[in-house]
Amino acid sequence: MNDSALSRRRFLTLTGGATLAAGLAACTGTGGDSAGAPAGGSGNGSKDLRLFTYEDNTTIGLLKEQVKQFDAQNGANTTVDSLPGSGAAVYPDKLRTELLGGKGPDVWRIWGGQIGAPFVKAKQAMDLSPYYQKYGWDSKINQAAVAGMTFDGVKGGMPFVALGIGAWYNKATWSKAGVTTPPKSYAELEEVNAKLVAAGITPLGTGGKYGWHVMRLFEYLLEVSAGPELHDKLLAGAESWDRPEVVTAFTNFKKWQDQKWMPEGAIGLDPADVELWYVQGKSAYTITGPWTEAAAIQSAEKKSADYGVFQLPTGHEPARHSGFVEGYMINARAGNPDLAAALLDFLNQPATVKALKVTASVVTGAEPDQATLPLSYEWSQGPGKQPFYTIQDQAFPKKEADQYFAIQSDVLQGKAGPADAARKMQDVVKAWKR
Amino acid sequence: MSRAKTRHGGLVAWGFAAPALLVYLGFLVYPALNSLWFSFTDWDGLSAGYNVVGLDNYTTMVDDPVVAQAAVNNLIWAVVTVVAPVLLGLALAVVLNGKVRGKPVLRLIFYTPAVLPLVSVASIWGWLYNPQYGAINAFLRAIGLDGLAQPWLGQDSTALGATMVAAIWLRVGFPMLLYLAALQSISADLYEAATVDGASRWQQFWHITMPGLRPAHYVVIALSVIESFKVFDLIYAMTYGGPGTATQVMGTWMYFNVFQYNQAGYGTAIAVVITVVAIAVSIPYVRSQTKEHAV
Repeated sequence: MNDSALSRRRFLTLTGGATLAAGLAACTGTGGDSAGAPAGGSGNGSKDLRLFTYEDNTTIGLLKEQVKQFDAQNGANTTVDSLPGSGAAVYPDKLRTELLGGKGPDVWRIWGGQIGAPFVKAKQAMDLSPYYQKYGWDSKINQAAVAGMTFDGVKGGMPFVALGIGAWYNKATWSKAGVTTPPKSYAELEEVNAKLVAAGITPLGTGGKYGWHVMRLFEYLLEVSAGPELHDKLLAGAESWDRPEVVTAFTNFKKWQDQKWMPEGAIGLDPADVELWYVQGKSAYTITGPWTEAAAIQSAEKKSADYGVFQLPTGHEPARHSGFVEGYMINARAGNPDLAAALLDFLNQPATVKALKVTASVVTGAEPDQATLPLSYEWSQGPGKQPFYTIQDQAFPKKEADQYFAIQSDVLQGKAGPADAARKMQDVVKAWKR
Repeated sequence: MSRAKTRHGGLVAWGFAAPALLVYLGFLVYPALNSLWFSFTDWDGLSAGYNVVGLDNYTTMVDDPVVAQAAVNNLIWAVVTVVAPVLLGLALAVVLNGKVRGKPVLRLIFYTPAVLPLVSVASIWGWLYNPQYGAINAFLRAIGLDGLAQPWLGQDSTALGATMVAAIWLRVGFPMLLYLAALQSISADLYEAATVDGASRWQQFWHITMPGLRPAHYVVIALSVIESFKVFDLIYAMTYGGPGTATQVMGTWMYFNVFQYNQAGYGTAIAVVITVVAIAVSIPYVRSQTKEHAV
């Protein structure tokens, strides 16, 4: 805080407009002393911990069971709270509100990249470097994942999963369209789409409400047209977006809508509904991660054998897919950070990871079980070993990501041409990097 | 009454008012003034520190195209979601106040949407509007109006209108209930006298019912207008401000800035503007209420 002549206390003393205040309170959400002294976590040295996550019903029971074991081993008392199904669009807001409200959890799960970054930048999450040393996380955890939880050189989180995004498909729909094998090139993927449409099946189940789900298609198209090196530079703002490769990606993006390779009005559909369409046979496939096997296929009491997964073909070497890191952070004001770090280390033990049925662990020796999660195992042994590019809603800060989603929306609605979109995207990135 | 007695009475009154006043000061005035303060800062909403930036947040608003779009959307929203529910609510109240079979059931049916959780309302309408599997497009296709089937929430041109339809459905029960209550207080003698004098139904409505509903009009319209300026939840749940920024209103744009873009200072400045507008709009209502109680 700077040494302004007018401090907050002085301001509050000087103002007293009760009428205005009543209305303000009705319309605003911030307040209190949150900016001055955010609090949270358990008391000093306490054995009580609170863990906040976004696990859904399929996994929260497993997590609670493991946490109970940790508590028994360490004499701790850990409460697990979850906000399932909210996704990266909502969960961080809830977490932020809890932290500002003084009831922040001791440990929380969070996505890496630009979603987790604000918590580290604002010093709400502690620097875990001492615990990386203490527990040897650097040698145990996949380094690419560690990079995803390192923010401006600060190891603000411990990676827990590194998830790759691929195409998960319903074999029955493919058979109906006469498709027998997954496509090996982008051109073949387009042919598959055409066959599916001809058979009366919507190829890709995707929904653009919130922006991030339709984004998974665009980032793939950008990888196809730009290739790995340029794609990475674009995401870092090191190359201009106003270029032919980006225009091609937007042109193809519009083509997917025009050819009905994605649902009609996809931009307004809720991904939580649409992503399940491939399980229900309403679409042929979706672009998602290995969690879908347990969370969508098996929870719908379907057999994994009736579904398949493949890496979307890019035509480039290395063949990459979109991916992201999720991990845990510790509250900078946690009363017992050592105990919180012990919990994190426990959660990343191969035995715990296996018990949690994690499909994309960052530690070796915790691959998905082939018998119970055959598709996730298949992915982990094949495409899962390939490098990935940063999923775009983690590559950009939220504000820029939303502007980018708005441009995608304009392209799909025909309000902006591909060249316009590339120019607008460059404006967004330029403003961000300024 | 002696001076001492008057003073004692005043102290007793303050004593009774004190608990409510403390709650008001602690939970309304203090946080509100804090918010006003943050509107003059660049606080990111998470960090302990911030800088005072004076009126920068307010001047930035002038150049923010989404603020302009949100303000226009708010205005459209205010007009449509006030006028339509009030007129429909009035019409339903008048009809249900007459001799209609199944009156209690009908009242319940029309009022039910008002008590549903907003997230449920958003989900219901989200499914109805689904372009491929929704009931609305299915109905249009079934009656041969395929051309009218639209991706209602998936295009800028229809998204705001589609959310307003849901809002009207949701809000029509509230004015209906208030008008129904007000209609009960109009003496039946007036209608009998007017009938004897040969007044038509329309004349009775215009010269007896409408003047009798005047106090109710104030309440219904003022509360509806205030509510409409504070719109947030339905838009957030149905469209998330999209497609793009097509359905952003001031409330959602405030939320995005405060909670998602780490621009709490700017977001609270938007909140201040919303508040000032809401207060300005509510002044006639407050004045009318004050006058009424003074009489």
